[in-house]
Amino acid sequence: MTSVVPKLQILDKLGNGHFGEVFLGQDAVHGQVAVKVVSRKAENDDEEWVDIRREFLAEAQHLKTATHRNVVQVYGIDEVEDAIRFTMAYCPGGSLQAHFERGPMTLAAVRKVAIDVLIGLHALHGREMLHRDIKPGNILLDHLGMAKLGDFGLVTDRLLLGYGSAAGYVDHIAVEVWQGRGTSIKSDIWALGMTLFRLLHGQVWYVFQNECPADVIAQGGFIERLRWLPHVPKPWRKVIRKMMADNTNDRYATTQEVLNAISALPTEPEWTVPIVTEDLVRWELQSPKRLNVVEWNIHGQRQHEWRAWSQPLGKGNNRSLGASTKVIGRNQVDRELEAYFR
Amino acid sequence: MATRCVGLMVGSGEVTVVDTQIPDDCDAPISLVTDVTWKLPTGDRQKGYETLFHRCKDYLEVNGIDQVVVKASSVPQGKANGGLLDSAELRGVIMCAAASACETRVLKKEVISRTYGRKVDDCVNDDAFWAEKLEGAKLRKGSREAAMLVIAHRARP
Repeated sequence: MTSVVPKLQILDKLGNGHFGEVFLGQDAVHGQVAVKVVSRKAENDDEEWVDIRREFLAEAQHLKTATHRNVVQVYGIDEVEDAIRFTMAYCPGGSLQAHFERGPMTLAAVRKVAIDVLIGLHALHGREMLHRDIKPGNILLDHLGMAKLGDFGLVTDRLLLGYGSAAGYVDHIAVEVWQGRGTSIKSDIWALGMTLFRLLHGQVWYVFQNECPADVIAQGGFIERLRWLPHVPKPWRKVIRKMMADNTNDRYATTQEVLNAISALPTEPEWTVPIVTEDLVRWELQSPKRLNVVEWNIHGQRQHEWRAWSQPLGKGNNRSLGASTKVIGRNQVDRELEAYFR
Repeated sequence: MATRCVGLMVGSGEVTVVDTQIPDDCDAPISLVTDVTWKLPTGDRQKGYETLFHRCKDYLEVNGIDQVVVKASSVPQGKANGGLLDSAELRGVIMCAAASACETRVLKKEVISRTYGRKVDDCVNDDAFWAEKLEGAKLRKGSREAAMLVIAHRARP
């Protein structure tokens, strides 16, 4: 008999997720969908493969209870030969990992992401689930640019401390989890704080100006060792520091508290940071007729220079707005630039 | 079965949220579950309204709230200013969000006063009144007017 309902078509490969590959698919009901394919590995014996499939089925059923506009919707799960396929909502904006790799996002863009994610996370926490793997790669943007929490391979409804394991991207694991105290709402808040720090700074700054988190988080005092781009205002630093406080009693207790704190943060002036390399950082702020530019030259660990000027978008002259008087040290350049951006 | 009821007081930049449990026994005090504030994000108000709309709707749905009582807008005694209009805008957004999630009632200040035969402000400042009417979590003094909405709603359902 002629088939009326077309099968799920696999189109392009979108990338690799934590548990497998992700493809763009075409579904008869939902149109474009993302398809996560978890294939059986050579080391999985028959018994283990049955267990894995059971776990993923349980996960899919579990996710049904997490339907929310800021959470990637899972449509279904099926088995194909030696693989399991999750069909999920397709987010054409991709993940924030690409934004992180491109460079620092503006304050306004990061705050929007933070608010979207916090509303989604509040819904998860309210249903006694944890995400446990919040990071730029697991935040997806839909066709309207709204952020959604995705990849729930690690979500658990075992909310009590000590039940969760420390699986997840190591840079986003809170100090208490490193110390064996298990995951919680507060470790999700820590991971989101780290995510916001990374989005504000971009990959180059994060990697070249900061120590490897996996090496230092467990020792404590990690947040005090983070190096901030000087345009990031003090209220932002205060909120992210509180999200990532070592002592869980000093950290925000709920997503509602974080939402209030984030809501009050300034998003202007809207500096962009189009260039961040190992030896140069450039900021730009555009007004209708002029472009303000700040450049920071990093000659070495202890040798820095900066200058700021305004240039016309059409005809006219450049105007100097400030500069270091000579080659200066790290602390001084931080102080001077922070004062300039204040 | 006890009813989960939330009182909402809306200002120009924030919403005071008093979440309560109303017992079946009419003589038993109302139990306070939580007393929090939702802040309107700074910057573009239309984006902030969208955020608070979803924050409100989510809160009511996730926590299984049965009823919401919102204090109605009132005509000012003095001159109307921008803050008053901002409050009215946000109040409309919150009413809409609440009504999309559960049964929602809008109470005028006069109705609250009539319920107790005294001015709302008198009740708000009367510590003994609160000791008698409410138990459970700690209520901030600034949230008493929002709690008053729930108490008045219970007295005149």
